[in-house]
Amino acid sequence: MAAESEAGIDPIHQFIISPIAQVGPLTLTNSALFMLVVLAVVTFVMIIGTSSRALVPGRLQSLGEIAYEFVASTVKGSAGQEGMRFFPLVFTLFMFVLASNLVGLIPYTFTVTSHIIITFALAALVISTVLIYGFYRHGFHFLNLFVPSGVSPVLLPLLVMIEVISFVSRPISLSVRLFANMLAGHITLKVFGGFVTMLAAAGGWVLLAPLPFAMTVALTALELLVAVLQAYVFAILTCVYLNDALHPGH
Amino acid sequence: MTQEHPSGANEQELRERLDKVSQALDKKRSEAETGRRGDEAEAGSMGQTSKAMALGFRIISELAAGVIVGALLGWQLDEWTGMQPLFLIIFLMLGTAAGFWNMVKLGMGTKKPPVI
Repeated sequence: MAAESEAGIDPIHQFIISPIAQVGPLTLTNSALFMLVVLAVVTFVMIIGTSSRALVPGRLQSLGEIAYEFVASTVKGSAGQEGMRFFPLVFTLFMFVLASNLVGLIPYTFTVTSHIIITFALAALVISTVLIYGFYRHGFHFLNLFVPSGVSPVLLPLLVMIEVISFVSRPISLSVRLFANMLAGHITLKVFGGFVTMLAAAGGWVLLAPLPFAMTVALTALELLVAVLQAYVFAILTCVYLNDALHPGH
Repeated sequence: MTQEHPSGANEQELRERLDKVSQALDKKRSEAETGRRGDEAEAGSMGQTSKAMALGFRIISELAAGVIVGALLGWQLDEWTGMQPLFLIIFLMLGTAAGFWNMVKLGMGTKKPPVI
């Protein structure tokens, strides 16, 4: 994220996917590498953190316990006790998104979630879980989801259309929100970082360079908040959609 | 009789004590309940600002996604049927309506959405 001299001040350059290694037909890109890093981080926190099982938790164990408690209360709050059967899914999604957002904030790393194909794949996973479980559990009664109750028959076709569109828009909004926030945040950081070097290179204007630098510091703090917040929003919306699969019908 | 009298008094006394104990227990229980709920709320919430920001992100993306999906559906239906602008216009309107409808539902919170 810090302005690299080689790449110039191209704020988009950080999102380029480049192959790193080739193993047979498989190519390891920087995106895939950082997915592995994210997995390693999550696995480290959860496995090493919970291995001691101390009654008074240490730092890593507290981290793992806080994450667990937080996701568990989110799931129970929006999908009820029954929603806890989806806890592994929600927890995995939350930890993956959170870890990749946070890892991406470290300079010279790659933000996995800044590519829409990644976030869309996650959203498609959520929505297909909702669809498959909804039809498995309720059969065609699941379609009641699209029929609002207490509506005059004249308006019903129109409202069913609107409900269907709003259902179809769910994976789009889920994926676009995460991707756009990450993309925009990182571009903004890069642009303000670029201002620092541009001002520093422009003779007397160097006196103004601390201003965008201060902005970069503030934006980094904001991005930290957004990174956690987006993971939370992703998790809570997953719960809300799963709640629809558990209890369709309005 | 001499035995019954003290036992009767005992019973009364016992009942009073039992009532007292059960009242105290109820109080303790409700205190624990509210205390735990407070803790949970604290753990579950991430501060007022963060909550508001999360809701804002959700609302704006609902609106955007509704419009985008409506436009895409209409565009594709136009491609298939060859009735160039017709479905695009209809579905753009429907998509916008869906976006607003989602926003209203979000804004209403846990309250029942208004019946049209």
